[in-house]
Amino acid sequence: MTALPISNSSVSVPCIEIDAVSKSFDGGRSFAVSNVSLDVKQGSLVAVVGGSGSGKTTLLKTINRLVDPDAGEVRIDGVPVSEAEPPTLRRGIGYVFQGIGLFPHMRVAENIAVTLGLLGWPVHEIETRVTEMLDMVDLPQDYARRFPHTLSGGQRQRVGVARAIAARPRIVLMDEPFGALDPVTRDGLGSSYRALHDRFGMTTLMVTHDIQEAALMADRIVVMKDGHVLADETPHTLMTGSDDPDVAALMEVPRRQAERIAALMTENRPVHA
Amino acid sequence: MPDAMAELLSGARSDALSDAWSLLPTYLTPHIVLCAAALALGLLISLPLAVLAADRPRLRWPVLAIASLIQTIPGLALLALFYPLLLALSALTMRLFGFGIPALGFLPTLIALTLYAMLPILRNGVVGLNSINPAVVEAAEGVGMTPRQILMRIKAPLATPVIMAGVRTATVWTIGAATLSTPVGQTSLGNYIFTGLQTENWISVLFGCIAAAALALVADFFLNLIETGASERNSKRMMLGIAGLALGTFAGLAPLLSNEAATYTIGAKSFSEQFILADLMGDQLKAEGFGVTRKDGLGSAIAFRALAHNDIDVYVDYSGTLWRNVMGRTNTPSREAMQAEIVRWMKAEHGVTVLGALGFENAYVLAMKRERAQALSITSIADLARVAPQLTIGDDLEFLGRPDWASLKSVYGLSFKTRRSFNPTMMYHAVDAGEVDVVSAFSSDGRIAALDLLVLADSKHAIPSYDALILIAPNRAADARLKRALVPLIGAIPVEAMRAANLTVDRDTDKASPKEAARVLAKAVHLRSR
Ligand SMILES: Nc1ncnc2c1ncn2[C@@H]1O[C@H](COP(=O)(O)OP(=O)(O)OP(=O)(O)O)[C@@H](O)[C@H]1O
Ligand SMILES: [Mg+2]
Repeated sequence: MTALPISNSSVSVPCIEIDAVSKSFDGGRSFAVSNVSLDVKQGSLVAVVGGSGSGKTTLLKTINRLVDPDAGEVRIDGVPVSEAEPPTLRRGIGYVFQGIGLFPHMRVAENIAVTLGLLGWPVHEIETRVTEMLDMVDLPQDYARRFPHTLSGGQRQRVGVARAIAARPRIVLMDEPFGALDPVTRDGLGSSYRALHDRFGMTTLMVTHDIQEAALMADRIVVMKDGHVLADETPHTLMTGSDDPDVAALMEVPRRQAERIAALMTENRPVHA
Repeated sequence: MPDAMAELLSGARSDALSDAWSLLPTYLTPHIVLCAAALALGLLISLPLAVLAADRPRLRWPVLAIASLIQTIPGLALLALFYPLLLALSALTMRLFGFGIPALGFLPTLIALTLYAMLPILRNGVVGLNSINPAVVEAAEGVGMTPRQILMRIKAPLATPVIMAGVRTATVWTIGAATLSTPVGQTSLGNYIFTGLQTENWISVLFGCIAAAALALVADFFLNLIETGASERNSKRMMLGIAGLALGTFAGLAPLLSNEAATYTIGAKSFSEQFILADLMGDQLKAEGFGVTRKDGLGSAIAFRALAHNDIDVYVDYSGTLWRNVMGRTNTPSREAMQAEIVRWMKAEHGVTVLGALGFENAYVLAMKRERAQALSITSIADLARVAPQLTIGDDLEFLGRPDWASLKSVYGLSFKTRRSFNPTMMYHAVDAGEVDVVSAFSSDGRIAALDLLVLADSKHAIPSYDALILIAPNRAADARLKRALVPLIGAIPVEAMRAANLTVDRDTDKASPKEAARVLAKAVHLRSR
């Protein structure tokens, strides 16, 4: 993807730089993303949270050029993405779509293998990797031959995640990857993803509506509202209070829930207060 | 004819049926070749066009509008339109590159059918491509597919069921429309229908319709396998469909592959006498060991041009028709002078050889029921002119528009109280029933004798003679073998023999096929090849 050397003193080096990016879909009357700057460090997992329509998906798409910004620039390892051919760029970036976006005419195995095929992997290596990925997202092996429309929503979502990370890309963009999963699977998949992320030194930008998930999985949390970034902090800093009332209100939710659950575990009394 | 089905089922006309069966390879093979070629070409043009138009609304509208417009042109008209166009084109290529292109037969039919096949494929292609969920296309972009890969791996397979539905429609249309190719000289299952209509052989008409319908059903069955196979991702089903189509096409083509190349093409206009004479000439050529192909049902105007352009090698035309319609003459010289001038002019202007006259005339004549004529004491057209204002004339849809009628009118001052037009069979029924007093008959028509009609004498020679002449194409001018094979026919057929032969084909009951009639005629005039 780039000829620039990647620094070994990893964590402090920005891998993805979003530099004053703006995007409007209506010729400038309103902005889906407005003058957003953001650094995502090599090897970190950053969660993006925010209300519906706050510009999270749009921001994510500027990174793999599904959306080209009106102003500003996105760089990966210092190189502007606008200089890369979109197909080449995208093959190196895993993307989990909000709407899942599986190919309905391809079997589960073919869906998972699609990027590997585009990258020209040999067939037997593709097969091994597909088996591995099905295990990783906790799907039975015999699902390989099924078509997406025969899967449940959560199963499809897992195939979507498997497809995005099958080639072990350095960068993974995930748009609500675990939204349709039950809490148990969601927690399990979240943890195993985090483990994989650390093991292979991936850099992940993950959109989620679940503050708790963001707080437990991410190194940093970016809060968006109306196309702007309200906060870009570690979970710890955000949890311990923010100057911005919107951010404070948002972080209040998991904190109060945690307190109530802690209370529930020590004394047996109603927690709906 | 309501009894046709009953006749067909009862096997009472088993000879007509076996005639039809024996022609099946001859008609089916070109039909399949034609349809397969038109559909392949239609796919080749329509699919890329659909891909282009699907993404471009500005292109989509005009492309679909033009395709729809073509669809509204009646099939026969579309086929006929390409004849003059190709003729002009041929003249151009002749001038520029020294070779012409055939304006009759396969090429115009192929173009017209291809145009017909395009709309359903194009429309379903555009609809199929545009109805793909945009999220799926975005996902394809997201995993790093190029636009080409998105087309081939995502859009094409997802649009295939819809496109295949269009291909099925196109196939059924094409197989049906291909039956209309007979009048422009392309042999197809339509030959059953057109010759059957002309000779009122309803068995033949039905046979042609059923054969075309059966072919369409078989093709549609296999295409349906491909379509459902594609949408269910059942590759076995798809392969079965493809194999069925391939096998069917191959089986249809088999006679083509085994036959040695036919050598001569005989043309015929679209009436019984022409079919009989074409069969007669064909039998002569076959007896000499030559191969024969036929171009039947040529329009009267098209036949001569086809010959002059070597699209056919030989056919029979009539001196008066050539004189007036081809040479554009309006005078009426003596029979001998006219024939001499025709021979000279044909050679000089078109390189066409007039081999000679068969010995009978097929002229337009005016005829009446004998009793009716005697009651009015009419024996000649001059007599008729005196009482014509009180009488009704029936014609065959053509006569009253021809120069012959104009000259009769001006020479004799003819004018009738009423005119009515019929198809030839109905016209004879009408005069027999007394619904009309006078009809425009053909002098070689067997029904003149059968219905006891009186042919009114043309003492002032208002109508030129219509001697049946064998004409040979420019490319065959020096072909001694062809001439030797046909020369025995010259002067061999008296008008009575021709009338008798025509009657066996034209009469309403106990009809013979032109083929049988030709055999009987050959025997009757003691025809032997050298
Ligand atoms: N292709 C598009 N055309 C027009 N407007 C768009 C397009 N994509 C996004 N928008 C608009 O941009 C704004 C931000 O959309 P975006 O999808 O980025 O929000 P989001 O934060 O992902 O919301 P959600 O949490 O509901 O997915 C919205 O107002 C949306 O209507
Ligand atoms: Mg979104």
